[in-house]
Amino acid sequence: MTEQEVVVELRGIRKSFGANEVLHGVDLAVQTGQHVVIFGPSGSGKSTVLRTINLLEEPSEGSVRVLGVEYGPGIPGESRVKRGSALELRRQVGMVFQQFNLFPHLTALDNIALALRTVQKLGRSEAEERAAHGLRQVGLLRWAARYPTQLSGGQQQRVAIARALSLDPAVMLFDEPTSALDPELVGEVLGVMRELAESGMTMVVVTHELNFAREIGDLNVFMDEGVIVESGPRGFFDTCSNPRTRQFMDAVL
Amino acid sequence: MIAVGFHPEVLWTDWGLVWDNRSLLLHGLLLALEVSAVALVLSVVVGLFVAVARMGKRPLSSIAGIYVNVFRGIPALVSVLWVYFGWSIVFDFNFTVFQAAVIALTLLYSAFISEIYRAALQAIPKGQREAGLALGMHPARIFLRVTLPQATKIAIPNIGSMFIGMVKDTSTFTIIGLVEVVRVTQNINSTTFKPFVLYTAAAVIYVAAAFAIDFLFRGIEKVLTIPPSGWVANVVGGRRKRRIELLVKGMEATTS
Repeated sequence: MTEQEVVVELRGIRKSFGANEVLHGVDLAVQTGQHVVIFGPSGSGKSTVLRTINLLEEPSEGSVRVLGVEYGPGIPGESRVKRGSALELRRQVGMVFQQFNLFPHLTALDNIALALRTVQKLGRSEAEERAAHGLRQVGLLRWAARYPTQLSGGQQQRVAIARALSLDPAVMLFDEPTSALDPELVGEVLGVMRELAESGMTMVVVTHELNFAREIGDLNVFMDEGVIVESGPRGFFDTCSNPRTRQFMDAVL
Repeated sequence: MIAVGFHPEVLWTDWGLVWDNRSLLLHGLLLALEVSAVALVLSVVVGLFVAVARMGKRPLSSIAGIYVNVFRGIPALVSVLWVYFGWSIVFDFNFTVFQAAVIALTLLYSAFISEIYRAALQAIPKGQREAGLALGMHPARIFLRVTLPQATKIAIPNIGSMFIGMVKDTSTFTIIGLVEVVRVTQNINSTTFKPFVLYTAAAVIYVAAAFAIDFLFRGIEKVLTIPPSGWVANVVGGRRKRRIELLVKGMEATTS
C-alpha cells in the first residue's frame, strides 16, 4: 500500500481556559479517507480536540496542520512558520454539531444555499440547485421549503450534514452528532454518516455510539483528562489493553 | 367665599371645532410621525453600532456604556433645546426645527435601542455564530445574515414601543416651534378658547397613533416569526416557497 497523504496533523496541542489546562499535549494524524473515532468520558477534552482542528478553539500551544499548511500557534522551540488564516482553514473543514446549529430563520434549502452564496460566491440559482442536490443526498429534497423547527431532530442533523458537505470539505468533523437526538432518530443520522464513510470521506467523529465507532473506526482514540490514553486500528475495541480504557468500555458497552 | 362650579355642558359642546380643524390636526400628526420615523431609522442604525461597540473590547465598550447612560437620562425637552439652541452656537450653524427634532430624538432613542439590541443579540445561542464560522463565513457576514435577523425578530416589539414613545416625545418639541399636534392645538385654542375639546382631541390623536403603530409592529413581528405567518408573509414568503417547490419538482423529475 502506498503511503497516504496526511490531511490533519495535530502536534503538542495544549489548551488552557484561564489557569485550567484541559489539553495536556495531544498528537493526532488523520490520513486521507481515514475514519477517526474519538471517545472518552465527559470532560476528557475530546470535543476540544475536535474544535482545535478548525480553530473554533484556538490552542494555547501546538501545531495544527491541515493539507500541509500550518494554522496553529506553534510548538515552543520550533522555528515559527507562517500561519494560514482561520477563514482559509475552515473552508477546507466541514463540521457537524451536537445541537445541529441550523439557522432557524432560513429554510432547509437556504441554510445550505447561504453558505454556498457567501463562501463560494455562487449566484442564487446555482447555489439553490447545488443545495437541492445536497438535500437529495441526505434524502430530504422534499423538505427543502421547511424551516428547521418544522423538521425532526434527525432531519435537522441531516440538513446540517448536507450543509457542511456542500462546501466540498477535505475532512468532516462530527461533534457528538447523535447525542441530542431521540433514540429512535439516531439511526437515520448514523445511516447518512455510514454512507459518507463508505464514499471515502475523511472523517473525525467524537461519539458515544461505540457500536457505530467499532463499525467505521479505522483509528480509534480513547481520551481521558486531557490526554490520549490509548489509540489503535480496527479491532481496537477488543484488543485495547490500558486499564482505564477497559474500565470505560466495560461501563459503556 | 370659594367659588365652586360645575360645567358639564363643556363635555358635549363645540366638538365641531375638531372636525373644522381636521386638516391642521392631521398635518400636525403627520409631521410628528415624519420626525419620529426618520429618527427611528437613525436610532436603529446608531443603536446597533453602539450595541456592537458595547459588546466589544475596551475602550470602545466603555465609551458606548457612557453614551447609553448619558442619553438615556436626558429628557426630550432638554435634548431638543440643547441641540437647537446650544449646538447652533457651537457649530455656528442653524439647524432647522425638523433637523433639531430628529437629532434630539435620535440621541435619546439610539441609547435605548442599543440596549434592546444588545439584549437581543446576546440571546442568540453562540452555536449560531460557530456554525457560520465552521462554514468559513466571514464574521461580518455571519453578523448580517445570521445573528442580526434573529436578533431583530426579538427586538421588534420593543422597538415598536420606542416608536410610540418617540411620537409622544415630539409633543415637547412645540417649544422650538415644531408644528406638531400640541402646537396646532395651542394655536387653535388661542383663538377659540376651547381647551377641553382641543386637548381631548390631541390625546385621542396620540392614542390612535399608538394603536396604529402597535398594529404595524405586530404585522412586522408576524412576518419575522418562523415559519412566517400573516398575509404579508404569504405574499413575500409564498413566492419564495413556490420557487423552492418548483426547483424540487424539477429535480425530482430528473432522477440522477
